[in-house]
Amino acid sequence: MSTAAAEVVLGRRQLFMLPTRFGMLFALLLVVQLLAAINYGNGLAYALTFLLGSLAVVSMLYTHRNLFRLRLSAGTCAPVFAGDMAVFRMRLTNESNTPRYGVALLHGKKEITRVDIPAHGFADVDLPAPALKRGWQQAPAVTLHTEFPLGLLYSWSRRVEFDHACLIYPRPAAPTPLQALPMDSPEAVSGMKVGGEDYVGTREFQPGDSPRHVDWKAVARGESWQVKQFGAGLQLTVWLDWDTLAGLDTEMRLSVLTRWVLEAQQQGMLYGLRLPQQTVHPSSGEPHQHECLKRLALFGLKP
Amino acid sequence: MNPTTADRRVLQSLMAAGVVAVAPHVGELPFWIIAVFALCAAWRYGIEAWQWYRPGKLVRLGLMLLLLAAVFRQFHTLLGRDPGMGLLITLIGLKFMELKTVRDHVVSLFVFYLIILGSFLYSQSLWLGVWALLAVTVCTTALVHLTQPTSLNVTQRLRLSGVMLIKAVPLMIIVYLLFPRISGTLWGLPADAHGGLTGMPDTMQPGSIRNLSESSEIAFRVSFEGAPPPPRELYWRGLVLTEFDGRGWRRGPMGGIQEVSFMPLNEAVRYHVTLEPSNKPWMLALDLPAIRPKGARYQPDFTLEHREPIRERLNYTLTSYTRYNTGTLERSERVHGLRLPGETSPRARALAGQWLREHGTPQQIAQAALDHFRRENFVYTLSPPLLGDDPVDEFLFGTRRGFCEHYAAAFVTLMRAAGIPSRVVVGYLGGELNTAGNYLIVRQSDAHAWAEIWLAERGWVRVDPTGAIAPERIELGLEAVRRLELQGLALGNLSSEAIRRALELGWFEYVARHARWYWDLTNMTWYRWVVDYGKERQERFLASFGFEHISWGQLGGLVIAGVLLVLLVYALPLWRTKKSLDPPQAAYLRFCRKLARAGLARAPYEGAHAFAERAARKRSDLAASISEITGLYEDLRYGPQGPDSRKFTTLKKRVSVFRA
Repeated sequence: MSTAAAEVVLGRRQLFMLPTRFGMLFALLLVVQLLAAINYGNGLAYALTFLLGSLAVVSMLYTHRNLFRLRLSAGTCAPVFAGDMAVFRMRLTNESNTPRYGVALLHGKKEITRVDIPAHGFADVDLPAPALKRGWQQAPAVTLHTEFPLGLLYSWSRRVEFDHACLIYPRPAAPTPLQALPMDSPEAVSGMKVGGEDYVGTREFQPGDSPRHVDWKAVARGESWQVKQFGAGLQLTVWLDWDTLAGLDTEMRLSVLTRWVLEAQQQGMLYGLRLPQQTVHPSSGEPHQHECLKRLALFGLKP
Repeated sequence: MNPTTADRRVLQSLMAAGVVAVAPHVGELPFWIIAVFALCAAWRYGIEAWQWYRPGKLVRLGLMLLLLAAVFRQFHTLLGRDPGMGLLITLIGLKFMELKTVRDHVVSLFVFYLIILGSFLYSQSLWLGVWALLAVTVCTTALVHLTQPTSLNVTQRLRLSGVMLIKAVPLMIIVYLLFPRISGTLWGLPADAHGGLTGMPDTMQPGSIRNLSESSEIAFRVSFEGAPPPPRELYWRGLVLTEFDGRGWRRGPMGGIQEVSFMPLNEAVRYHVTLEPSNKPWMLALDLPAIRPKGARYQPDFTLEHREPIRERLNYTLTSYTRYNTGTLERSERVHGLRLPGETSPRARALAGQWLREHGTPQQIAQAALDHFRRENFVYTLSPPLLGDDPVDEFLFGTRRGFCEHYAAAFVTLMRAAGIPSRVVVGYLGGELNTAGNYLIVRQSDAHAWAEIWLAERGWVRVDPTGAIAPERIELGLEAVRRLELQGLALGNLSSEAIRRALELGWFEYVARHARWYWDLTNMTWYRWVVDYGKERQERFLASFGFEHISWGQLGGLVIAGVLLVLLVYALPLWRTKKSLDPPQAAYLRFCRKLARAGLARAPYEGAHAFAERAARKRSDLAASISEITGLYEDLRYGPQGPDSRKFTTLKKRVSVFRA
């Protein structure tokens, strides 16, 4: 994996071709036609047989051309929690003057999707793959496949692996009471209340939000998923600390901490993260949450 | 596009392919077969478009058995060309009902290709060839549609399959010309009917040749090696009739196998004949053929007879001599050449007896007969009156209006009555020289009958009594006679000036005639390279490139080499390593080259902007245009608004006028 590049251009050596089963049937048709032509000594029958045979041969070039010099490059992949589906986005770029039709993206034997790529254009394909473990997960190897234009031959690429990784956060543990260590600062100590009762507004639903806070009435009206936010007058500052979870194994601790990060973020707290040899200072907001979750995801893994 | 519309569109493509593939069979196969196909296709479309009744498995099975029975009832067999095609077409119609998977569709399309091939078993005409090319294009377009149900619109599909087929044609030609042909067949051909062919009848009744002359169908074509003989020597010998029953003429008994020889008196004429099928065995030859082509029998009366009736075009090369001496006469030939039925016209016998008394030699008697035709107001006409039981008598002493056969019959009767061995020869006279392809076209309307008399010193001598009445027929051909007759001109003694004027062609006729000739040449070429391109012609073709006695292995090598060469030509532009440039980039690079020639090369690390600044400092005279070009280029290539054709045109213009 270390040798993989961020993009791959399909050259002649990466592409293979074989007849499809319709191609085999077509060959059978040609044999029948040739026998008829020979037997009847029929010039036009010979001509038709050879024309169809030549057509199949010419279609080889078209099939080859349909994948030749196609550029595959890694796109984005939004971080997901272990156990969810990671969606790897890949970009197929066509730098030639001819459009590419019916290019199928295969994972193993399974066709994921089939796209057309305009001349001097590109197409993005999303390859979902289950997120198994926290940390960086490489995109699965894919092959490209096409039967264009006649379906008599198919061309496929070698397995393409390239540097395309998705960050997998630890799987959040079941909701666990927050055992936060209050900050040393006075204002943090002054508000020990976890969460608030006052409804302060709504925001877009995010994975990990508690279903209890979803604005179900709005969903029923057909509006987008919104989450009701509750908060107290003041923001609470908490430390989510590895050491409070002594007694649990590493993965469990990470899971619980992940849950707490989500809870804290959801409840609008200011939260910091303390891990052995790592500290994230209290803050809040999406980037902060991502930073914390990333630390948890990569904790103890070799860079 | 939702899936159902896509499916319906694919179905439409498939049906279009079916219709063009089956169309040539209309008229060749019983109508109900075509009707079954059309109904099934319509029904299927109804199912798709208007939710008509969809037949279940049992119903389809029942229909299939019904169709099998119907085809069997029609042809009394299920094997052979007609029942085979009938089954293929009706069952593929039925298959429409159960089209579901891509596989069903593809199989149907492949069967359509087979049906197209089937139509060649009925005809190999140029038109059918053109139609088949169209049908293959439509079928291939449907195949593209099946493979790419939604990506391409119909124009793109048609263009794609058309371009692929055009690219396939050179490959096809290579394989077509070089694929080893065999003579004969792999297994026995089903006996197919050969009806409706026109040819010279084997007896001559009054009117039989005249009927033939109504047909403008082509009898055969001849290409000469060297200059063709003059029209008056173009007597094409078909068959010789010696037996006369008082009304009609038949061939005599053939005298077994015999060494036939004659003494040639002038230069040999070599020529190549392409004979149209006539369902008769006569192989036409210029008077007199000296060699026997393959598959022919040489008869003692100097005619060539094919071993079996000619049902396909026949090619043969011959050598003939137009002047000859056939030498002595066999005893049996003399007997047959003098035989007259007892009841034949006493008046004719009397006339012949009178000539016999007046003139000494057979030659003089023959001349007397010809003079008689000329003097006694005999008329050559294309519409002679009908004759009764003793046609020779009626013609000689009554109607005096006749066609070539009447003159030939009357002349031979008179000669026999005068004791001169004589016989009727039927064949063709003349022909139309196709200047477009430099070959002679002989039509059924050129059919002719003439006489031969035997003279002691010269052997069998051709005498054409028609020539005595209507020399125009011999010199100008029947078509000219028809035209002269239409203009009410009497044949026999027209001045050449009058004939020239009468036969002058209007510009339209001139164009039409040449068009006809080119069309005939096209058909001839088609025939030569498609219908008749077999083992023999392939050998000749290869020999013309110096490949004599080439083995199948070597031919295979040639085929593969040729195909690979063409493929390489197709593939080269694809594999060219040159990166295709963005058009604005190409224009900018041209600009850079211009500056480089002036000593201002852009360094590899230098961006367009930095380079422009450096260049503008060095060449302040060009600063304005350098900055404009660079600005345009940067806008086009990196600008947020993307490609802009107007800006691009400006860039191109600025670069082309830029002088460093």
